[in-house]
Amino acid sequence: MKPVEERGYIIPAFNVGSVDYVDCARHLAKTLLMHHPDARICLLTNQADAVDHNLFAYTHVVEDIDKTNPWANDWLVFHHTPFRQTIKLEADMMVASKIDHWWPMFEHRDVVISQGCRTFYDTPAVSRKYRKLFDVNGLPDVYNAVTYWRLSKTAQEFFKLVREIFSNWQCYKTLLKFPEEVPSTDVVYAMAAQIMGPDTVTLPKHTGPQIVHMKSGINPFSSAKWTDELVWEYNPMRIQTVAQWGLVHLNVKDWHHE
Amino acid sequence: MTTGALIFAFNNEKTDYVQMAAWSAERIRRYLNIPVAVVTDATDAGLHQQFEKVIFAGAETGGSRYFEDYADTVSWHNAGRTNAYRLSPFDQTLVLDSDYVVCSDQLKAVLNAPQDFLAHRTAFNVAWPADPFLDTFGRNQFPMWWATVMMFRKSATAQYIFDAMTMIKSHWQHYRTLYGITEKNYRNDYALSIALGIVSGHTLKVDSIPWPICSVMPDTELSLMSADPELWQFKYAGTDGKPKSVGIAGQDFHAMGKKHLEAVIEAC
Repeated sequence: MKPVEERGYIIPAFNVGSVDYVDCARHLAKTLLMHHPDARICLLTNQADAVDHNLFAYTHVVEDIDKTNPWANDWLVFHHTPFRQTIKLEADMMVASKIDHWWPMFEHRDVVISQGCRTFYDTPAVSRKYRKLFDVNGLPDVYNAVTYWRLSKTAQEFFKLVREIFSNWQCYKTLLKFPEEVPSTDVVYAMAAQIMGPDTVTLPKHTGPQIVHMKSGINPFSSAKWTDELVWEYNPMRIQTVAQWGLVHLNVKDWHHE
Repeated sequence: MTTGALIFAFNNEKTDYVQMAAWSAERIRRYLNIPVAVVTDATDAGLHQQFEKVIFAGAETGGSRYFEDYADTVSWHNAGRTNAYRLSPFDQTLVLDSDYVVCSDQLKAVLNAPQDFLAHRTAFNVAWPADPFLDTFGRNQFPMWWATVMMFRKSATAQYIFDAMTMIKSHWQHYRTLYGITEKNYRNDYALSIALGIVSGHTLKVDSIPWPICSVMPDTELSLMSADPELWQFKYAGTDGKPKSVGIAGQDFHAMGKKHLEAVIEAC
């Protein structure tokens, strides 16, 4: 669609399984507005009753989506953003601090996909437990959880590639060693980044944003559900007494209900 | 501004920490050229000849602890360290464990640093320097700072840190549970780490001494090979069980086993 505003955030939330991503998106929007009350947020969903004018300036409902793999609808964000410059945020995260310093960092580029992630101690994640496919195939260590683009040929080409890879996964997966049967957005973004040239769509690692990833293979906790083991506080957000900043990928989808 | 070192020395049934502190004091003067105060409950007449300042305080026990080199459990009167801020007679203080062996002037860099508080964030085992070594504690691997060497200036920041350590010590069972600490004994390193977390606004962004402590474990035998020039030797068993040794000179170290260090002191 033709952009109607300069800058804003888009949160894709397609409900096709047991996880209520719209609910996650509402929570993410709340935490974003807590730090940036003037933030403009667009919800992209397949759920017609998801409209909430207190949280979302725009709600774009697309009912005709790929329900076999909800991630395969990711490319729609490019076509449905009402903003000239957009930051896409994955729904199952929360904002733990101000993030508007990202805009001046990003605005010199057409596309920026975040690279790497952090532990809740704010140290770079060193575990490669969930990134073996990336390593063995020499793919860039991108996380689609935070992705910026401005309306541009580069962004258009990138999301065209993302759509093509998702749509033709049976062909594209032959390019990879040990490919996933159902492609994840991170792998598809990494392949698209590799095809376009990683430098075209990323900032140097550790200069751009990195999410805190609350997976057990990355952080030192033994429970599959970290909320059962660690002490956590909501506002300001602390995990096991450690103050969080930036974006925190919760991994436990119903965290905010506990 | 006055600058000096502060050593806590409370003897137990096995170790003469006062004698160890006196031996350390001589080295501190030699290498760092600063006066040394001791905090102790000992009343030996000779203390005032060995230390520039003697501060009498009661022993605060942190419990008992098994020491591998003694093959015995001994009382551990180490819990009074949190009083360092209140007890220190200096404007700038270098708190040192009595088993921290000063062999160089490297701590002058710490004394010249602009920070109001500094401690070590990392350490290494002299026998296995490339291996991970006690960098974290507790169930969830909270980052650990070492209370072995602490430099502080009389300042709000330093006072907050020691006040926080005192609070943590007073509510040790609560903090043990919170951080998943299995050891029952109070430990200064853990209290310091938790306190630094609190005082940093829970960010863990803390300026630290920018090199690791060289640590000599209790199962490593240490000896002074030559006094002039000073050369220390550390003997340990390799992974294949065969004896190995490493020698160092001009490098401070933390003698975590007291028995071997006591033997060296006795021989001096």
